Amino acid sequence: MKGLNQIWAIAKREQKRMLARGIYTFCMVLAPIVAFLFFTTLMGEGLPSELPAGVVDEDNTSTTREVIRNLDAFQQTNIIEHYPDVAAARKAMQQGKIYSFYYIPKGTTQLAVSGKQPTVSFYTVASYLIPGSLAYRDMKMMSEYASGGVGRATLYAKGYTEDQAMAVLQPIKMEMHAVNNPSLNYSIYLCNTILPGIIMLLIMQVSIYSIYVEMKEETAREWLAMADNDIVKALLGKLLPQMVTWALMGLFCLFLLYGVWRFPLNSGIWPMILDMFLLINASLALGVFFCGLVPSLRWALSLATLWGVLSFPISGFSFPMMSFPDTLKGLSWLFPLRHYFLIYVDQALNGLPLYYSWLNIAIMIAFWGLPIMLLSRLRMFLLKYHYTH
Amino acid sequence: MKWLRNTIEVWAYEMKCALLDEGVLVFFIVVPLLYPLLYAYLYNHESVREVPTVVVDNSHSQLSREFTRRVDASADVKIVSHCQDMMEAEEMIHRRDAYCLIYIPKDFEKDVAEHRQTVVELYSDMSGLLYYKAVLSSCTEVSLDMNKEIKAQLIPGATEQQISAFQYPIEYQYVPMFNTQSGFATFIIPAVLMMIIQQTMVLGVGMMAGEEREKVRKHIAEPHIIGKNPIEVLLGKSTVIFTIYVFVAVYLACIVPMLFNLIHIWRWQTLLAFMVPFILACVFFSISISSIAHDRESFIIMFVFLSIPLLFASGISWPASNIPIFWKGFSWLFPSTFGVNGFVRITEMGATLEDVQHELNALWIQTFAYFGISYLVYKRTYGKQLWA
Repeated sequence: MKGLNQIWAIAKREQKRMLARGIYTFCMVLAPIVAFLFFTTLMGEGLPSELPAGVVDEDNTSTTREVIRNLDAFQQTNIIEHYPDVAAARKAMQQGKIYSFYYIPKGTTQLAVSGKQPTVSFYTVASYLIPGSLAYRDMKMMSEYASGGVGRATLYAKGYTEDQAMAVLQPIKMEMHAVNNPSLNYSIYLCNTILPGIIMLLIMQVSIYSIYVEMKEETAREWLAMADNDIVKALLGKLLPQMVTWALMGLFCLFLLYGVWRFPLNSGIWPMILDMFLLINASLALGVFFCGLVPSLRWALSLATLWGVLSFPISGFSFPMMSFPDTLKGLSWLFPLRHYFLIYVDQALNGLPLYYSWLNIAIMIAFWGLPIMLLSRLRMFLLKYHYTH
Repeated sequence: MKWLRNTIEVWAYEMKCALLDEGVLVFFIVVPLLYPLLYAYLYNHESVREVPTVVVDNSHSQLSREFTRRVDASADVKIVSHCQDMMEAEEMIHRRDAYCLIYIPKDFEKDVAEHRQTVVELYSDMSGLLYYKAVLSSCTEVSLDMNKEIKAQLIPGATEQQISAFQYPIEYQYVPMFNTQSGFATFIIPAVLMMIIQQTMVLGVGMMAGEEREKVRKHIAEPHIIGKNPIEVLLGKSTVIFTIYVFVAVYLACIVPMLFNLIHIWRWQTLLAFMVPFILACVFFSISISSIAHDRESFIIMFVFLSIPLLFASGISWPASNIPIFWKGFSWLFPSTFGVNGFVRITEMGATLEDVQHELNALWIQTFAYFGISYLVYKRTYGKQLWA
């Protein structure tokens, strides 16, 4: 009972400290909320539409104008300008005005009609991957369509039905199914990991700051004394108010993703609440672990920053893990965000039974083992070391 | 020339401070040096190859085996298993033994033989968009080739040219520009490099400013500042940061792209004329923003996480044309937004100075605006106490 009272007293002390300094409010409430709103509204469209594109139509016949009109009608493409030649269009691309352009050389219509197979081209800027590949998709589809249109017309003239014509033009057809994200929504694909990732990064940094700022301000002994120099009680008391705040922020994040934006949630909300709580606790554990590793606010913060920033690429949500070097595949187990991402994929995205995620859940819990190894070391640091820079 | 002597005095002292402070050096030297190496290592493979894929072949025909064989031979897809039914295939995907599924219907060969269109269904796990891209493009390529051959049988005795013209009355050609391999490293690293310049500078300068604030609170006056005009202090300090970052920028903007064979088709004059205002804008931005640094460390926590939103706000990933106007305005506050876009276009797309005029103007405006703010900050910090 006495232990619980001590923890409670330290928690109350910590709460007062947190309210007294702007940095806690900023990093634990303001920054995450602004970041959440930033990412979800930035990509609110899901798939970017009406990307600026150009046209070089040297042929300029009613047929080519029809093709361009059709291209403009595609959802991802917005033709903003006609350029006199390829060089001018290329210039516009270098100036960042357009992401792609369609080139129809002189005589295209004439050649097509006489069966001489002219060539049209489309150019996309691959330095900007997303708009580049979306423009590619539209322009390729348009080219197939234009070519197919001429082919179909020829076949219809010969008395083919539509089905027959398609069987001749395209005997084998591909039909793509993007499972559980049919519209290829980028926001679903990115926000589901970036938002928790930002929480993770801030948790590690704030927890380290809150622990070692006591060393810096020479209040560490006072803090530990409140727990009879028992580091476990001292830490529990200190981290309790943080844990509660982060849990609330985590729930807000989930509410935003699955309540407001209605992202796929095929598992129901509970597994994701579990996933979020596991991530919060693993991040706190890592924060304490880094404190136990190096007795310096700045170095512990630097380690956490490195770990936190690396978590984003290593979680494998944008560039998949299978294409990373082998060493990193092993190393990725040490990043909580990687496990969060995998649990999210199994649960919210694909709606699998929870047992598919058991290994990742177990590892997230195992993160608590890390600081436990270093507790007595951390206690020694706090009692004996002085802040230096 | 008293002001010049004063400025040089501040410069010399501050330079010594920066070079002796290991905390600051981590941000000014170690992070810029190592972080790009780490990134280059991460994205070593550039693109996604051999995505594990399972096949459910209900046709069991020669044609379906031919299709599967050709897909397997493509660079992007690797067939890891032939499954009896969809259940088995889905289970493999759930266990992450495969990410994509190709379903070939029972009547695949029969349909083709009897001139009916047949549909092959592709399924992709959406935990990564690059799986989707790999399986779709590989299978589409194979189907186009096979369609051509099937059509050749439809028109016996036709020449290659006739078949081709029949298949494609209008031929088309796709030309990816600049990042021709659509490599992931080529796409992300140049943006990250510019981000590193701004963020490490902000953190280092913030740490130095935080320490000054701590000293002011403890009433420790810095000797080299006594008797100096705020403008002299500002010039001295900003020149220190500028000097250090000239070296950092040469490493990040020139050496790293060459080291890792990223595309670098810049003209050095263009790069120079662009990087100078970028670094200047970063310097005065850092000094302005460092006015909120309360102590040495708090600034790190407040600024690191911002790197991720700022990378997105630059428009390198989600296109700038589709960023809501409110966030666009927000992104204009940061030199990185213009730095990233200008640098990517100069190095990868061979843009001239006139092509990046918009970014260049913005960086100069930022330089002057943040210079003004920095001056006010210094006047407030040093004006009252020490400059008498």
